[in-house]
Amino acid sequence: MSSNNFSLTQLQNWMQGMLVHHAPMQDIVLPAAVEDIVNPSQRLSAVHHLDIYRHSYIARLRSCMQSQFNALAYALGPELFELFADQYLDTYPSESYTLNTLGEKFAQFLQETRPDAGREQKENWPDFMIELAGFEYALSIIFDEHADEQPAVILHDTPDEMLKLAPVFHLFHHQYPICSYYLEVIQGREPELPFPEQSYCAVTRHNYKLGLFTIREAQYHFLKNMQRGDSVEAAKDNLVKAFEFKRADLDKIWPEWKKGFIDAGFFVFDEP
Amino acid sequence: MNKTGDNYINIIKSLPDPGLGLGLRSKHFNHILELNPAVDWLEVISENFMDSGGRPRYVLRQIAERYPVVMHGVSLSIGSTDPLNKEYLTKLKRLAGEVKPLWISDHLCWTGVNSLNTHDLLPVVLNDESLKHICTRINQVQDFLARPVVFENPSTYLTFKQSTINEWDFLRYMTEETGCGLLLDVNNVYVSGFNNDFDPVHYIRQLPHDRIVQMHIAGHQHCGTHIIDTHDRQVAHDVWKLFTLAWQLTGGVATLLEWDGNIPEFDVYHAELLKAKQYMSSIGSFVFDAEELAADSEVVSNPVNFLVNNVNW
Repeated sequence: MSSNNFSLTQLQNWMQGMLVHHAPMQDIVLPAAVEDIVNPSQRLSAVHHLDIYRHSYIARLRSCMQSQFNALAYALGPELFELFADQYLDTYPSESYTLNTLGEKFAQFLQETRPDAGREQKENWPDFMIELAGFEYALSIIFDEHADEQPAVILHDTPDEMLKLAPVFHLFHHQYPICSYYLEVIQGREPELPFPEQSYCAVTRHNYKLGLFTIREAQYHFLKNMQRGDSVEAAKDNLVKAFEFKRADLDKIWPEWKKGFIDAGFFVFDEP
Repeated sequence: MNKTGDNYINIIKSLPDPGLGLGLRSKHFNHILELNPAVDWLEVISENFMDSGGRPRYVLRQIAERYPVVMHGVSLSIGSTDPLNKEYLTKLKRLAGEVKPLWISDHLCWTGVNSLNTHDLLPVVLNDESLKHICTRINQVQDFLARPVVFENPSTYLTFKQSTINEWDFLRYMTEETGCGLLLDVNNVYVSGFNNDFDPVHYIRQLPHDRIVQMHIAGHQHCGTHIIDTHDRQVAHDVWKLFTLAWQLTGGVATLLEWDGNIPEFDVYHAELLKAKQYMSSIGSFVFDAEELAADSEVVSNPVNFLVNNVNW
């Protein structure tokens, strides 16, 4: 078939198929070899010319995945991470004009392709990797979330009724110590893969920088109540009810919590 | 061309020359905000900011108050056979309304079809069919944005058998049909010329110089059989020579140094840009030098790592 018979649409589908799927798209059949479509040059064959694009496509996006999933890449090791990233990019090629969402479905992909799928006896490490991937992607979204940030100058003796959660505030509950593992990796330490352990953390953003804080289970539920719209008092009441705490015990520990939450930037003024 | 196109030509011809500029990279945010370095202007990657509700947009707002800014895009995909992305264009227009750039630019390329994005600047077929297709889309984009757009010649690593028009002529026809402007990437001409067996000097001489609004210079990696546009090092001497020619033919236009991989400290980046001054008036001789070759098989064209948010905590 003469290359002059190809429409622009056919040609672009052909080239994209060769880059993304290493073969022409099945529904856009071009019965042509690379040599029928691409010119050779003095130094390179037509195939070599196309290979420059093919090589760069996957290397470029793999590198972006590495940037977006720094801790996961450390946890998996370079070879395994590359294998998962390449398979992911093959399964879910980018559909967005922005690279910031490139890893949007990575945690979902790891769940779909976990090596123990179908087996009754599940392994632990895939759960850890899936949680870590989800957490890292969430951080990249929170970093760029739209919000009117307010100066976090709030005094420890601010009345409880004047406290509300900061505009960028997110809570996480994991089956593994995800937040502490992530922090260790980004601080340049070399943590071992952790054992399962329920963990809770809060993520805030002040002056457009993220703050990551590991918190206790009761604190998580208290703050979760506030996220649902409770005032400080109502959040305490609901925590006491749900966990059968003694109110007096909670009131006793509250000043310590409040100071810690204010220092961490969890609260801003709730102006009437 | 219609009256609107004539109007775009007039706008293009009256755009200012802000001087020597640098690409705004997140690594340099704090340096620029704290020290206000004496760079003439900054080029921002539109896609890095159009969705941002966090630090990138916050920084850009401050920088746009202090420096002239140009918006440079990588995802318009003007050559694609997919429909134009209206959501993307709407966000681009909104960002331009906020930043008030001197102009908006993108590339003569396509990035994907069937709603996929390869995040590469893929080469277009250069023939009558694609010229008509691309000019129609440029008209639509310019009318939507209510301003002319400036298009850059990409670095290319292949040519199509179906191409029947030289790239320099294709760019000329584009400007004549739509009133768009041109961003002459001197390094891309050099890279594409080596890869595809054309003379970069002839290419630059044939362009419509009065439509060139801006130039790019950048570093590349010579791999022996081909050259990769890596934007990760100093500008090659031969590219400086071409820059001298382009400077003379255009009469001097806004010039920007791209550095997107192994990004150095701001002062090093700025010093490399300022070398341009010594090449503006030098007498060019177009005997190209031998370059250092790379043995590295991992060389990647159009690095995009810098397009991913650098999360700060």
